[in-house]
Amino acid sequence: MTFNAVGQKIPKKDAPLKVTGQALYIDDLELPGMLYGKILFSKYPHARILNIDTSKAERLPGVKAVVTAKDFPPNFRIGFMKDNPPLKGNKVLSTRDEIAAVCAISPEIAEEACELIDVDYEVLPGVFDPITAMREDAPILHEELGSNVLKLPWKLVCGDVEKGKSESKYIVEDTFTTQWVTHCCMATSGCIAHFDINNNLTLYSNTQIPSLAQNDFLEALNALGLKNRRVRIIQVTIGGAFGSKLDTYPYEYIAILLALKTRKPVKIVFSRDEEFFATSPRQCTITKISQGCTKEGKLTFREVEMILDNGAYTSWGATTPSVMMMPISSLYRVPNVKYEAKCVYTNNTYCQAMRGYGNPQATFAIESSLDHLAEVSGIDPYDLRMINANQPGEITPQGFKITTCGLKECLEEVAKRLNWREKRGKGGGKRGVGMASLIHVGGGARVYKSDGCGTIIKMDDFGKVDVFTGATDIGQGADTVIAQIVAEELGIPVEDVNVIHNDTDVCPWDVGVHASRTTFVAGNSALYAARKIKARLTEIVSKILEIPQEDVEIRNGIAFSKSDPQKSIPVARAIRRAHFTTGGSMLMAEHFYDPNNENLGKDFKGNLSTAYTYGTHGVEVEVDTETGKVKILKYVAAHDIGRAINPLLLEGQIEGGALMGIGFALSERLIYQNGYLKNGNFLDYKILTVRDAVPVETVIIETDEKEGPYGAKGIGEPGLVPSAPAIANAIYDAIGVRIKDLPITPEKILKALKEKAGTGNKA
Amino acid sequence: MKKFDYHIPKSLEEALSLFKSLENAKYIAGGTDVLVNIKRKKESPSHLISLRNIDSLKVVEKKDGLKIGSCLIHQELLKIEEIRTYYSALYDALTKLGSKQIRNVATIGGNICNAAPSADTACPLLVLDAQVVIFGEKGTRMVPIDDFFEGPGTVAKEESEIVTSFELPSFPKYTGSAYIKHTRREAMDLAMVSAASRITFAAEDQSLLRDFLSSKGVEELDKELKNYPLFVKEARIALGVVAPRPFRAKKAESCLEGKFLNEETLREACEKAAEEAQPRDTIRGEAWYRREMVKVLTKRTILLSVKRAIEMCS
Amino acid sequence: MKKEIKFHLNGEEVVAEVEPHWTLLYFLRNVMKLKGTKEGCGYGECGACTVVVDKRAVNACLYPILEVDGKKVITIEGLSKPDGQLHFIQKSFIEEGAVQCGFCTPGMIMSAYALYEEKENPDEEDIKEAIEGNLCRCTGYIKIVQAIKSAKRRQQ
Repeated sequence: MTFNAVGQKIPKKDAPLKVTGQALYIDDLELPGMLYGKILFSKYPHARILNIDTSKAERLPGVKAVVTAKDFPPNFRIGFMKDNPPLKGNKVLSTRDEIAAVCAISPEIAEEACELIDVDYEVLPGVFDPITAMREDAPILHEELGSNVLKLPWKLVCGDVEKGKSESKYIVEDTFTTQWVTHCCMATSGCIAHFDINNNLTLYSNTQIPSLAQNDFLEALNALGLKNRRVRIIQVTIGGAFGSKLDTYPYEYIAILLALKTRKPVKIVFSRDEEFFATSPRQCTITKISQGCTKEGKLTFREVEMILDNGAYTSWGATTPSVMMMPISSLYRVPNVKYEAKCVYTNNTYCQAMRGYGNPQATFAIESSLDHLAEVSGIDPYDLRMINANQPGEITPQGFKITTCGLKECLEEVAKRLNWREKRGKGGGKRGVGMASLIHVGGGARVYKSDGCGTIIKMDDFGKVDVFTGATDIGQGADTVIAQIVAEELGIPVEDVNVIHNDTDVCPWDVGVHASRTTFVAGNSALYAARKIKARLTEIVSKILEIPQEDVEIRNGIAFSKSDPQKSIPVARAIRRAHFTTGGSMLMAEHFYDPNNENLGKDFKGNLSTAYTYGTHGVEVEVDTETGKVKILKYVAAHDIGRAINPLLLEGQIEGGALMGIGFALSERLIYQNGYLKNGNFLDYKILTVRDAVPVETVIIETDEKEGPYGAKGIGEPGLVPSAPAIANAIYDAIGVRIKDLPITPEKILKALKEKAGTGNKA
Repeated sequence: MKKFDYHIPKSLEEALSLFKSLENAKYIAGGTDVLVNIKRKKESPSHLISLRNIDSLKVVEKKDGLKIGSCLIHQELLKIEEIRTYYSALYDALTKLGSKQIRNVATIGGNICNAAPSADTACPLLVLDAQVVIFGEKGTRMVPIDDFFEGPGTVAKEESEIVTSFELPSFPKYTGSAYIKHTRREAMDLAMVSAASRITFAAEDQSLLRDFLSSKGVEELDKELKNYPLFVKEARIALGVVAPRPFRAKKAESCLEGKFLNEETLREACEKAAEEAQPRDTIRGEAWYRREMVKVLTKRTILLSVKRAIEMCS
Repeated sequence: MKKEIKFHLNGEEVVAEVEPHWTLLYFLRNVMKLKGTKEGCGYGECGACTVVVDKRAVNACLYPILEVDGKKVITIEGLSKPDGQLHFIQKSFIEEGAVQCGFCTPGMIMSAYALYEEKENPDEEDIKEAIEGNLCRCTGYIKIVQAIKSAKRRQQ
């Protein structure tokens, strides 16, 4: 199959605006009469609020409103478990708890006013790790719940793990831990809330979930007594998301409240300090895993127990175990699987979605453990993976219907490019190679009642197309990919397709930009809408050219007869003919695409996604055994993506994902001590710089997914999923020590090396 | 940011008299520390007196050593060929400080007067026996840099005084120096530990140094030390981040100075340096690890210094 | 307490009354309403606010406004021609896929611009040195380095 627009390295549509500084992010936006909001956060991680005195702040000239919990309805709560009041009136449960907020005519005055608010606290003992939080004598955060363990019983049982154990020749068991890491979007969070004269709300936002956010805020308006109002979400240019904007947050409700009080637009934009401590990181995990295999290396079982630090409140992030189940049950063929996870309240920051949504933590454990199993069984780790690799057509124990699967090809490419057979185990105590693979949803993920996305298309008199999509562009290039798909289907140039994706007043519903679903779901939605337009268009052309409709082909904006190409007409002219006639018509179409995937059942089984994506990363490292520093010499990232709609953007997702994964593996961690964040700045929280960047060698495996738009599957998240275990495995190959706790710092390596030298034992 | 007034004197005298006449004043050079401190509410001066537009603070004099004005920015200092050639430890530090944007405004005087234990130029100036030239009401005085650092953020000068320049002596050609900054990432980072060293060999060893180079090459250095009895005439070792101030590890120096450099003396020097260090556990690094790194970095800077000394003689 | 400054901003003379505690970034964004220069951290740790002052890339968030008096300042808005023609570095960023969320892009491009002012044919090491203070969370830097490296051939 040959394509015109699909498969091309087409630059991102909004890049010209971004390279000239014309793209407007939330902090760039100013509305007439706009006020600036600022939030007062808690001084303590756990305390009773005895009194809040806002009188001094209210008297400060320039202050227009001061709000506290009293200004929200008494039982108003937000979040996945509805456990989070946007402003806290009785108790604070973490140092990011919002106590009061002000808005003023300038950010400086708002900040000063916050400092004038006096809060009396009765400090309570805090609990800062999930293990302690589960003890009988631990302080209970949400007293009404009676326990710190969330009532979200994640449990998946497939086959019979005990039987699997009895069939095993080799069994390994390890415990792995992962840290808090945070998105570090280069633009900080923020919004502007504004009510019109009819009490309808417009929120300028950088949300990843415009439709769900609209729903959340409608609930808030209802709670505030504004029944039957409208909420319009206008998305500004989003300066990075990575999952961070996959929920609605207290600051947004606070901005709405302040706007309602003042009848003025109110902007709240976080400072970088606030962005670090008051947004929600990836959850840290403790994972006990055991796996076994037969003498021949066939996996027999996998058993995983996990504890997640939920933090003080519950966001969508508490559902990450539903995604962790995916690699646990379905990465490689393993017949017997058992998984249990507990999310536990602590007085730490509450966690949320971040690129990969639990998958990186789970895959770190699975793939590290798999290398351990390879060692114990005496089978090369690459061979062990090949023996157990998933295959097209299989149904996994969790009920995933694997359609396309390029895992073996990914493994082979990585082994070849790393020169695996020559290098493995031959690094002279300093160098080593390692690999790790991933499975991820690649055809949507039914985590909500609908996994759909709507598209409306219209074609104007000049043959140009406007596509109104529910999809959200967070920098990944959804705008461009959708334009390519529509251009391909309609046979017009990509530049003739305009994608509008930022306004709930004109764009249809979409569940959100998550689960690497946009190319697949929004792409299909756009494709089918374009197909409807195309049917109308070819009908018009067939009448004008007096040829059968099946004989019409459109290429580069010209419609012609396939059998007699001399018969042709520019698309624009055909459209005008149809328009400017008595009883004329114009070309408009819509489509709502909801993939045929399934919500997981009560047993957490079901075909979560319409297609699954695979990949393998391979790494060669060099370890400085005197300092413990790790240098990455080579990095290969092979991904089965179905079809590369736009290889340029695709590489960008993989390269960026990989470096984020390397940071997760080696350098990034939020340091919380007794509930206080200690390294909330770019000097001490080490996202990687260009000096640390690794020349990622991207290998694209095209398996042509039948259900995907032009064969494509998703790729937004996979790029960072296997980085950490691939690196950990390479380090083990180099120096014979296995670090089971992320990030793999020089300290941990040196300590492990010393222990190894001291005892003479392997890790 | 809290409000302050900002003054731009054109001469030292004007700066000093401004300082004397203004309440709660502070000098500012590149501002990459001062402004960050104000933004982070760690300090709140009412007046900032800029030293950026005083020409006499930007001198470079190249006779009998090197004199560099305190308000030269790092990026300008990097262009001074003499620093790259004869004061390599300083050159190393200049390349490693902050980012290009920071090096384009941050001055060496500011880096020294801010006196962070991790200040990148501090250890090099310590091993290069720099003299700090200070201007004040009573005129100009000189302080050896080793006496200048008193503690974190505190230096041996009156608040009204201005550091005008640093004077570096000229060293014999058979001298090498180096600075290594140990960080978690490769740019935009503060040192977890840093070390600088300088080794000056005896004049009579020059031919030996040349032989060394022609016979084996510097890559084999540590293994070959025993075959080449190189006499260390002067040794300097300075450590950063492992004490309240950047300091010279003098016991370590004495393991080498006046002795032949070999595996044993080198190891002793590294052990001593680690003993002299008083690292702490902080979020930026653990004490035990920092102490270990003192050994490693001391060794590496010394070997790099030796390598450079040898190359100078070739 | 306002003071007057006079300087060149993107080729035009600006005379303005400023508060002494303002930074150049504050002035650009809030007084001149030039929103292309971004604030990513405010502490000189991310490079999103990079502008060029007298041919040097600096963090505008740490640049005292009074220090620009008499100097030449170029921001991202000053790079393309008034007729909309883009600077060759801007073109290169578009074509090489060096832009994702775009928030670091103006600062990144200004660092690259300062580099080209300094060196006609920068190598990879020069490029890394030039942008080591510009953080990007989206791209992994590969396409950014490539864009700066190949920018020259887009110069007409």
